[in-house]
Amino acid sequence: MRYYVRKFVFYLVALWAALTLNFVIPRLMPGNPVDILLAKLQQRGGSIDPAARRSFELLLGTGGDESIVSQYFAYLGNIFRGDLGVSVSAFPAPVSEVIASSLPWTVVLVGIATLLSFLVGIALGALVGWKRGTWLDSLVPATTVLSAVPYFWLALILVAVFASALGWFPLAGGYDVILTPAWDAEFLSSAIYHGTLPALTIVVSSVGGWLLGMRNMMVSAMSEDYVLTAQAKGLRDSRIMIRYATRNAVLPSVAGFAISLGFVVSGSIITEQVFSYPGIGSKLLQAVQNNDYALMQGIFLVITVAVLGANLVVDLLYALIDPRTRVSGG
Amino acid sequence: MSTVDVKRRVLPRWSPKLAIGLGLIGVVVVFGLVGPLVVGDPNTVRDIGLTPPGGSFWLGTTQTGQDVVAQIAYATRGSLQIGLVVGVLATVLSAVFGIVGSYAGGIVDEAFSLFSNVMLVIPGLPLVIVIAGFVPAAQRGSWTIAIVLAITGWAASARVLRAQTLSLRNRDYVAAARVAGERTWRVITVEILPNLLPVLASQFVFAVVLAILSEAGLSFLGLGASNSSTLGTMLYYAQNGFALQREAWWWFVPPGLVIALFGCGLSLVNFSIDEIINPRLRDVPRKPGKVAATVEVVPATRGSDDAVLTVSGLSVVYQGEKPVHAVRDVSLTLRRGEILGLAGESGCGKTTLAYAVNRLHKPPAEVTAGAVTFHDRDGTDVDVLGLGVEELRVFRWSKLSMVFQGAMNALSPVTSVAAQLDDVLVTHRPEMSREERRKRCVEVFTLVGVPPERLGAYPHELSGGMRQRVMIAMALLLDPQVMIMDEPTTALDVVVQRGILLEILKFRDSLGFAVVFITHDLPLLLEVADRIAVMRDGEVVELGSAEELNVDPQHPYTRELLESFPSLTGERGGFVRGTPALDGGVR
Repeated sequence: MRYYVRKFVFYLVALWAALTLNFVIPRLMPGNPVDILLAKLQQRGGSIDPAARRSFELLLGTGGDESIVSQYFAYLGNIFRGDLGVSVSAFPAPVSEVIASSLPWTVVLVGIATLLSFLVGIALGALVGWKRGTWLDSLVPATTVLSAVPYFWLALILVAVFASALGWFPLAGGYDVILTPAWDAEFLSSAIYHGTLPALTIVVSSVGGWLLGMRNMMVSAMSEDYVLTAQAKGLRDSRIMIRYATRNAVLPSVAGFAISLGFVVSGSIITEQVFSYPGIGSKLLQAVQNNDYALMQGIFLVITVAVLGANLVVDLLYALIDPRTRVSGG
Repeated sequence: MSTVDVKRRVLPRWSPKLAIGLGLIGVVVVFGLVGPLVVGDPNTVRDIGLTPPGGSFWLGTTQTGQDVVAQIAYATRGSLQIGLVVGVLATVLSAVFGIVGSYAGGIVDEAFSLFSNVMLVIPGLPLVIVIAGFVPAAQRGSWTIAIVLAITGWAASARVLRAQTLSLRNRDYVAAARVAGERTWRVITVEILPNLLPVLASQFVFAVVLAILSEAGLSFLGLGASNSSTLGTMLYYAQNGFALQREAWWWFVPPGLVIALFGCGLSLVNFSIDEIINPRLRDVPRKPGKVAATVEVVPATRGSDDAVLTVSGLSVVYQGEKPVHAVRDVSLTLRRGEILGLAGESGCGKTTLAYAVNRLHKPPAEVTAGAVTFHDRDGTDVDVLGLGVEELRVFRWSKLSMVFQGAMNALSPVTSVAAQLDDVLVTHRPEMSREERRKRCVEVFTLVGVPPERLGAYPHELSGGMRQRVMIAMALLLDPQVMIMDEPTTALDVVVQRGILLEILKFRDSLGFAVVFITHDLPLLLEVADRIAVMRDGEVVELGSAEELNVDPQHPYTRELLESFPSLTGERGGFVRGTPALDGGVR
């Protein structure tokens, strides 16, 4: 029980830290972002109603003399009501709507790709560790090269080879533009077809990290006494490898999931840019290029909440697979 | 600790990996340093447009006719600079939060650790993008970028350093320095830092790779420093100049390749550093081919007495530059139902012998001569060293089971005890139903005095004595004819130790298995064993009944061993074989 409470408290603290960072950063920056935003709005013929101005000011800092503390609490209030301001680049759509339309693309793409690369990496890592001293060892340096490759560059190469030169996959986009998004077979297969190369990019560049971590833990686990005991027990090799060595070696990989997830998410933001994928990473960049500060901050918050949420889920899973956490509270 | 020791542990071993890694780093660094001096101005615009490689432009030109080679040289320098600066900054930050925090302990450690963990779970690149987005491009200098990257990139290293410092902090020599009243900063710099160097180095390398990759991503998005050109910037221009659509591979392939090669070089160096931190990761020599026993010994046939296991002329060698003969020409006979004690100091080869009997020895250990023969109840003789892989697997545990020293780790910590017992039955007795297996587990638990309701427990929920009983219960599952016990009770206190041993003896008679009991505790053996073999330097120097050994030791080493254990009554061995009931076992 103590373990769960600790984890919940930790993620609450992390969430609070992210919200606060989001509040502080624009106030520390030079210039007056609110004026820039309002000027942009006017250019687009948007009317500046006082409520829109107020929510921008809470996000980005007021020019007036309202105390920072009351601004902070009003800001938190707005966030919890889901009011993230109005997007300038997609005027008059509110930020929350813009995010809602692009988030599913990223969640599905990054979610599936991460899960896939985690599973493949763990399985290969366990095998390479178990068969140490065979030709499989050469997989280790090979994957190192892959993890040293920038995500977006790998994306460029994949596009150059599989989309431009061979024409197997589309160059860009999340689905065929002649289709309207719907839950039908035609649209889904088009989405899968368009998502293959981006997903492949994420899998190929992140699988090496899982593989190496798992392989190293596997090597350590194999010299543990419980593996020797299992051998003396006359168990089959496959059983020893899966139930004893892998079962123990996988724990740090799961515990380290939090760290790696951040990298994967960061990498996929840039990958989306290469593929002009209609996800949240492309939106973030559009927001930056158009000085759409409210959208920028909203996206940062949503990504952070999603990453924290995923980490919390993984931590809860960890408690299921390591019985020791349930008592020690570690 | 002498400087020589430190050096040996700080310098990586020379290996092809390290050589290739250093080579890659060297080439890229030299290119970044010298390249800009020999190439022309990367910004010169020519009206030749996008040209493929050839002629005076080895890697062609960009769409504005700029020389790609010249651009890469300058960009490499820019990327290296930012990588180095961020690497240093991030490592310093992580050292402050990781080492100082964990060394200080208490509330400081709690706060620092919470801070690093929070920074770790907040995704770095989105944060960097947001910050960069707020800074107008004109004010986005390379220092701004470097500081932002350092602030978002130190947390993972701080966590690693904290864990390492915590483990070092509790080492004896650090504790000694603290007790001796050395100043905190002195303890940190003299005792802790040198031992952390490999970890620090590995984290620095990691930080450099991460910085170069992050900066490249940022520049690729057009959010990099406005006053410097890096490999990411090149890719940004390539992407926006439609290099991809125009199939100008010479424009976008080389910059990424330089990053990949450099990152790969650093990772290879990190492998070598990791091997210092965790010696288990070192390359193992390939398995040597099976070396035939140099001396062909005919597997022993059943002797006149009722033997269950015969070891004849067994030698085990740890192969290496200087082969170590751990077991030399050992011959032993284990009789049905007897307890054979194997005594000797640490390192005398008794454990190696026990493992070799069940072929559990791992390379570089190798059986070079001898034979191990198991005489089954049904009258067949089994040549253990000659068994095939599958035959050996079937033989293990059903004929010969083992109880290992240090029961703490012999059970897998993440699986319930019941599952680990069940495993044996599922594998060796596939015909048994779930209920039958359950019944058998309850049976053996009751036999060794563990309440059957503890079957569902995990190892960490059991005491040390309880765990050892569980191991013995597991060893009994298949009703084996031989049980090898390797220092089964050393980690337990004397009372628990005796309790367990006496119980084993109790049911040994009824179940009729023989025990090879390995220990350095000779008095204990005199009490429980029927016969005792004394080992020294891999050889059995004396073998006799417990009585003979106690009363009339032949070998000077045996006498030495006996004398090294003081007797409670003052008379050597006087207190040990007191119980007449046990004397009955002696022949």
